[in-house]
Amino acid sequence: MAFPTSTVAWSQSPLQHPAYNSVAARTTLHRPASVQASVGFPRAEGLVLASLNRAQTEPSPSPEKPKSFPWSDAVREYVGRAFESQNVIESISNEEMTIKLRSVISFFAERGQLESVDWPTHPLPQEIIRDERAAKRGKATMSSSNGFTNSKLDFPQAKKRKPQDADEQQAGASIPPWRKANLEARITYTPGTEKRHKKNALLRDPPSKFDPTDLEKRKQRFNLDNNGNNKPAPPWGSPRQDSDSDMNTALCVGTNQSLEKSYFRLTAPPKPETVRPQHVLEKTLQMLTRKWKEEKNYGYICNQFKSLRQDLTVQHIKNAFTVKAYELHARIALEKGDLGEYNQCQTQLKELYEQNLPGNAAEFTAYRILYIVYTCNKVDMNDVLAELTAADKVQPWIKHALDVRSSVACGNYHKFFQLYLNTPNMGSYLIDMFVERERLHALANISKAYMTVALRFLTDELSFDNDDACCEFLTSIGAQHLLDSKIDQTGNRQIRIKTREGAALFEGLRKTAFRVVDIKGQI
Amino acid sequence: MQAALEEFQTAYTSSHPAVAVAHFLSPRAPPEDAARLHGFQRLSNEVMVTGDVQYAIETRMRRQMSPDEMRGWTEVISCYWRAVDRIVKAENAQHQGRFSERQALDVHDAWNDLTNNFVKHISNGALPFWTIFTLCLTANHLRLFAIQADEQMAKAKPVAFSAGFSDDIGGTPKNEKLGAAVRVFNKVFSLCLGDRSPDMNQSRKWGVYCVANLLFRTYFKLKTISLSKNLVRSIDAQSDLPQFQLYPLSHRVTYLYYVGLISFVQEDYSRAEVFLTQAWNLCYVHSTKNKELIMTYLIPCRLITHSTVPTSQLLNQFPDLNRLFGDLFRFIRKGDLSGFDRALAEGEPEFVKKRIFLTLERSRDIVLRNLFRNVFLAAGYEDLTEGQTEKDRIRKTRIPLAHFAAALRMSTAGAGGSQVIDDDEVECLLANTIYKNHMKGYISREHQMVVLGKKGAFPGTGV
Repeated sequence: MAFPTSTVAWSQSPLQHPAYNSVAARTTLHRPASVQASVGFPRAEGLVLASLNRAQTEPSPSPEKPKSFPWSDAVREYVGRAFESQNVIESISNEEMTIKLRSVISFFAERGQLESVDWPTHPLPQEIIRDERAAKRGKATMSSSNGFTNSKLDFPQAKKRKPQDADEQQAGASIPPWRKANLEARITYTPGTEKRHKKNALLRDPPSKFDPTDLEKRKQRFNLDNNGNNKPAPPWGSPRQDSDSDMNTALCVGTNQSLEKSYFRLTAPPKPETVRPQHVLEKTLQMLTRKWKEEKNYGYICNQFKSLRQDLTVQHIKNAFTVKAYELHARIALEKGDLGEYNQCQTQLKELYEQNLPGNAAEFTAYRILYIVYTCNKVDMNDVLAELTAADKVQPWIKHALDVRSSVACGNYHKFFQLYLNTPNMGSYLIDMFVERERLHALANISKAYMTVALRFLTDELSFDNDDACCEFLTSIGAQHLLDSKIDQTGNRQIRIKTREGAALFEGLRKTAFRVVDIKGQI
Repeated sequence: MQAALEEFQTAYTSSHPAVAVAHFLSPRAPPEDAARLHGFQRLSNEVMVTGDVQYAIETRMRRQMSPDEMRGWTEVISCYWRAVDRIVKAENAQHQGRFSERQALDVHDAWNDLTNNFVKHISNGALPFWTIFTLCLTANHLRLFAIQADEQMAKAKPVAFSAGFSDDIGGTPKNEKLGAAVRVFNKVFSLCLGDRSPDMNQSRKWGVYCVANLLFRTYFKLKTISLSKNLVRSIDAQSDLPQFQLYPLSHRVTYLYYVGLISFVQEDYSRAEVFLTQAWNLCYVHSTKNKELIMTYLIPCRLITHSTVPTSQLLNQFPDLNRLFGDLFRFIRKGDLSGFDRALAEGEPEFVKKRIFLTLERSRDIVLRNLFRNVFLAAGYEDLTEGQTEKDRIRKTRIPLAHFAAALRMSTAGAGGSQVIDDDEVECLLANTIYKNHMKGYISREHQMVVLGKKGAFPGTGV
């Protein structure tokens, strides 16, 4: 189904998430108190350029054929800007900046991407260093109040970490997400190679096509002018070690106060400052409810709900509020026909109700039954029936859904369409998904049992709003030639349908409609 | 240990070593020797067990076995000793009323080790081919221990959070151990199916159906029935299996039953009927339980494919089936809708449990057909015209809709009285019956009549 309302929020890449960016900005509040004496550096631009050029034109240790990288004007300008005095950051020495600059340029040069980088907007090396330091400091100040930065001390359970988690974290956590996002945004990829670039951006080490011994050599080469305290392996990525927390053991308690947050799939343990605690989430839910009523912007709402659900999950919040949030998202997704999200919510809700959390279990059980009627999965239906208690079966909403089920199973279209008109809650959205199929089924039935029928009879039996809607439906399925207009004795025009002639057509359509339904997002 | 190994030696050299060795490796004490496990456990200890078993095997079995095979059995039997040790400890705990998750897990893990070791030594060719059947029986015990462990774990911690970076609260891992057992069984299955030994008499392929049955059973328990299809497909695709008729009867009957059952739950009733009928025909005459199981599905199957109900003679042979279906079929015969609905509702929990509810529900069509047929019969014959004799009288084929409506209302009147059938619904039910070919004819709305076929208005019922 189309979402006419989906707008900016939806089209945003999941990597660009304002929440993380704003947090990065927050952490920069902890700026260093120590301000080194600023030294005006001579414009050593030419020298550095020469050394960089040399580094590039040297026979490359990689097994591929050595390349020389002619610098475009943009790169030259970028290098020039790096040395300009107004761009100097006091706490970063010229040497550090030069090393970073070199690694930035050679990183792209090795990958042949010098042309594709948007140099005028690419962060200057000193900015990169500053951001890295800020991130490091931000982490240190928030994770341990006593000044220890050893991550092992932060989470005593870290020893239990499983090996496969280590890989995940290597891939995701070595570069802070906001850095990743910025870089991703600034690099314009050529379409064919995009996949590889993305992978490279995530990996700490250069791609494996290089021989490990060559890599080692190159590392040493970069180390030459190094004071030895800077880790050379990541091109400019931060050498920061992320906490080794396990999602299971280290429970996160959020500190974020903002009501809105874009959804971003986690690849690393969440940071408390990006996660909102329950009292904030409650306000968020209120706001989202209001916004949904006012704006009906599904793309935005869905995104916000996903981040809300994520925040609940990482903090292990499992209570009535969780149920409420999931119920609301399920309803909105249902209204918009977003079956993927709807099914995810339903799966979760089933778990939550099983733990006897208060909520509208009956309503959602009814939806579940209706959904299975739609998917025609008999095994699932049997499982649901097996779980129903005697009390459930007499609950009006569930009973309605069960009646719908039995009327569909027995082919009693008359009863089905009567139930359809009296569907409680939002069940109609679900029945709408298969009402056309049932109409075809009914037509196939009628076409065998009657020679001709009045249009009005069909309109009533198949629950169309009026005769025109019924005609339209018949036309849409290619049955217009069966319509037969007559003037009866009283002078009224009466439309009849030669059903018998359409038997084959309706039967064919019915069979197509009952083919296996595509199941989206069902877990 | 020597004494215990004497038992093993007897089993190993007997005429049916697979079953005899499986008895030796049983986790349950035989009724005539209730203290067997305790006795066996007392023969050794955790540290000494491997050495003890090795010495006993080497002194006793040197003549019968290659060094590789002796190593294999040494490991298997030591694992068995460890498993028995855990079982004895768990039993003691149970007597003291403190049997819990820990003991169940210990027993499961030890038995899992035993099974895996068995698999290892069979796949590297150390153990003779017939041990695959022993392995099947061992694996069956693994299934039971896994179920027990899962039950205890579910009791111990009902709430859990999902690991990893999933966005949602996530499901509690249910049946974790049984799921792990499935992977072991799958390993055994491919071990059987993929055996390349040229001598068919020494092939592990003879174990294929045995393991498949074990897997079916586990899939049903795990509610992942759809996975069974893959097994059937890979067996069908394997062209070099021995002829099906040559397999042990028990393997065949169980396999046919399960394939029929899988087709049944996936609503392929004609295929289900074929397999279930074969299973029925092969089933051992005196295994009432199995025959009952087959009939539980074959009867609903034939309701759909042939619109027939079983004779009371057949049902009377099986008291359980009679209790289950008796009422239902009586009402179907009578064409009593309210009685049928009541019987269906009463039996619902049990029908749902057996996965036949949704199938039985469809037999309401037959109730309707029988009811309408009675209306047709009650309408009687056309007046005799000239030259007609009593013999070739023609039944009245034009029956007012009102008659059917009256019949339906009479038939449903008893059922709590809540159901009200309006005229349109009467037409709908008639249309259904016509559509499903239970009745030949058409409805004429203008004349408020149902016009039935002159011959065979109700196919398959003699009128």
